[in-house]
Amino acid sequence: MSDLSTREKIHPGTAPGEDIALEIVGDGDFATTDMTLSIGPAHPATHGVFRIVLELNGERITAARPVIGYMHRGFEKLAEYRDFRQIKALVNRHDWLSGFSNELGVALVVEKMLEMEVPDRAQWIRMLIAEWNRVLNHLMFVGSFALELGAITPMFYAFRERDEIQYLLEAATGGRLHFTYNQVGGLKLDLPKGFLAESVRLSKLTQERLPDYFDLVLGNEIFQARTVGVGPLPPEVALSFGVTGPTLQAAGVPEDSRVTEPYLKYDEVDVPVHLGENGDSFDRFACLLYRIQYSLHIIDQIHDHLPAGPVNTKLPKMVKAPEGAAYQRIENPLGQLGYWLESDGGRTPWRLKMRTPSFSNVQSIPYLLEGMLVPDAISVLGSVFFVVGDIDR
Amino acid sequence: MAGVLARRDRALNPEETEALLREHLGEQVLGSVVEFGTFTCKLAPEGWVEAARLARDEPQLAYDLFDSLFGVDAREEGFDVVAVLYSTSTGNRLVLRTRVPGGRDAPRLASITEIYRGADWMERETYDMFGVVFDGHPGLEPRILTVENFEGWPLRKDFHLASRAAKPWPGVKEPAELDEDGNVIERVPEIGDAPGPYELDKAMAAQAKAVIEQERVEREERERKAAERAAKAAERQARKEAKARAAAEAAAAKAAAAEADADQQPASSDEEDGA
Repeated sequence: MSDLSTREKIHPGTAPGEDIALEIVGDGDFATTDMTLSIGPAHPATHGVFRIVLELNGERITAARPVIGYMHRGFEKLAEYRDFRQIKALVNRHDWLSGFSNELGVALVVEKMLEMEVPDRAQWIRMLIAEWNRVLNHLMFVGSFALELGAITPMFYAFRERDEIQYLLEAATGGRLHFTYNQVGGLKLDLPKGFLAESVRLSKLTQERLPDYFDLVLGNEIFQARTVGVGPLPPEVALSFGVTGPTLQAAGVPEDSRVTEPYLKYDEVDVPVHLGENGDSFDRFACLLYRIQYSLHIIDQIHDHLPAGPVNTKLPKMVKAPEGAAYQRIENPLGQLGYWLESDGGRTPWRLKMRTPSFSNVQSIPYLLEGMLVPDAISVLGSVFFVVGDIDR
Repeated sequence: MAGVLARRDRALNPEETEALLREHLGEQVLGSVVEFGTFTCKLAPEGWVEAARLARDEPQLAYDLFDSLFGVDAREEGFDVVAVLYSTSTGNRLVLRTRVPGGRDAPRLASITEIYRGADWMERETYDMFGVVFDGHPGLEPRILTVENFEGWPLRKDFHLASRAAKPWPGVKEPAELDEDGNVIERVPEIGDAPGPYELDKAMAAQAKAVIEQERVEREERERKAAERAAKAAERQARKEAKARAAAEAAAAKAAAAEADADQQPASSDEEDGA
C-alpha cells in the first residue's frame, strides 16, 4: 500500500513540457513491459512515407529507429546516364518543396567546373526566385507543423499566401513544383512582363500578413506548452550529425551558406540570420518563421538591384566538364545542400553525390527522441524539418 | 562554442593543412590537390580514422561540421571513399579521400562513426550503394535505402540500369538537336538572349512601389487629419464645457445674490408686488 502523497506522483498535475517523474511506487505493481510501436509508413504524424519504430517503456521512448528508403528513386544512378544539362530535371524532384534551389545547386556546380561566367541579371533573378521558393517551402512547414500539434487554422493561412506565390512563380517558370527554370549558364527565359510589379506587391502583402503567424502560432499558449523545452539539440551534437539550416540555427549556430560562403550575389545584400537559444522545438519553429521574414527582406533588396542585360549564355553543342571533381553547397530552405560532381571528361557525370539536408537532419531524431514521452515525439518529428524525398533521393 | 567564422583570419591554407596532417600521419598522407576551390587530401586507408580524428580535434583545424561521406567507383582499382568536412569557425572545407583496400571483391574500410555521429547513416548508404564494409560500424544491415532482399550494389559501374539495357534512350540522343533526317538544327537565339522587356518591367515595378508609397502617404495624411479633427473636437468640447461651467457659476452667483437680496428686502418686494 502506498499513501496518497506518493500516488500523486504517478499522475502529476504538471503543465505539459515540464519534466514528469514517472515512478514505480509501492510493490512495483505499475511496472510495464517494453513495447515496440511502429509509426508509419504513411502516418499523419510522419510527413509522408517515413516510418519510425519506437521502443517504449510505458509512455517513455527508450529507443527510436527511423526506417527510410520507401521513396528511394535512385537519382544518383540516373544522373550518371544524363547529360550535364539534363540533371536539373532530376534534382528538382528530390526535395519537391524546393525544386528551384536544387536545380540552382546543380547549375552552379556545373558552371564551376566549366569555369563559366553567368550574366549578372541571371544571377539576381536566380536569387529572387530562390528566395521566393524558400518562402513557399517554409510556409508549408508553418502550416503542417501547427497542424500536427492540432491547430488547423495556420494551414489555411499558409495556403492563402502560398497560392499567390505559386501563381507568381508559375508566371515566370511555367511550373508549380518542378520549375526547371535554371539552365547551365543562366536561365531558360527572362522574367515575364509585369513580374516585378507583382513581386513587389506580393512581398509587401506577405510582410503585412506575417505578424498573424507570429501571434497565432508563436504566441499561442498551447503551442508553447507543446514545444518549449521539447527536444533540445546541443550545438556540438548538431554539427557532429551534420544538421544544418533552421534546425542548426535554432541551436545558436549562425551557420548559413549565404553568409559564410556567399554564392550568386548574396555578398551584395544584407542577409540576417535569426538564432535560437535552446535548440528546442519552439526555437526551431521560430527560426523558420524568421527565415520567411528575412527572405522577404532579401527579396525587397533584389527588387532595387536587378540590373538589365541578358539572362543566359550560348552553350556549346556538347557540354563536357573537364576531368576532376567539384563541390558546391548552397543554403536550401531546409539546410545545407551539397553537390559533389565528379567527371571523367565524358558527356555524363561520373558521380553526382547529393548531400541533402533532410538526410542529415533526420539522423538526429533517435538522439532527440530518447527518453521522451510519445506526445512530445510528434512535436520533434514536426520541427526537425524534412521532406521524405529529400531523405531517400 | 566558438563563433562562426571567428577564426577565419587564422585559418590554415591548404599547404599548411597538409603539412600539419603530414606531421602527425607521415607517409599515410599520399598527396593533395586543390580542384575548383576544394582542397582534397588523399590518404592511405591505414590513416583514415586518425586523419578524421585529427581534423576534428586539432585546434587549428577544428572541422566540426560533418558534411557527408560517400563512395566513388574507381574502375579496376576498386572504390574510393570520400568524406567532406567543414569548419564553422574557420570557414574551411577539407575533403579526405582514400582508396578502399580489397579491390572490387571485398572492399573494407575502418568506420569513423566514433568520431562523427553523422557518419553512421552515410556509411550505411555507402555500404548499400557500393558494398563497402565498414569495420567498427554499429550495424550496416538492414540496407538503408534499397529493399532488404535487394541483390547487387546499385552505384557500381558494373551494375547496369535495367531500363536502359532493355530499350534505347527514347529522347534525342545528342544534345545538339537533330531533325528527322539527322541534320543538326541551328537554333536562332530568341527570348533568352535578348535583354528582355526590362525597361517596361522596371517602370511597372516603380509604379507598384509608387502606389505603395502613395497609399502610405495618403494613410498618414488621413491619420493626421483625423488627429487634427479629434484635437479640434476636443478643444470645442473643452470650450463648451468651460462655457457651461462659467454659466453655471454665474447662475449660482446670481442665485446666491438673489437669495441675499431676498433676505434683505422681503418687505419692499411685497410692496412692489402689491403696487
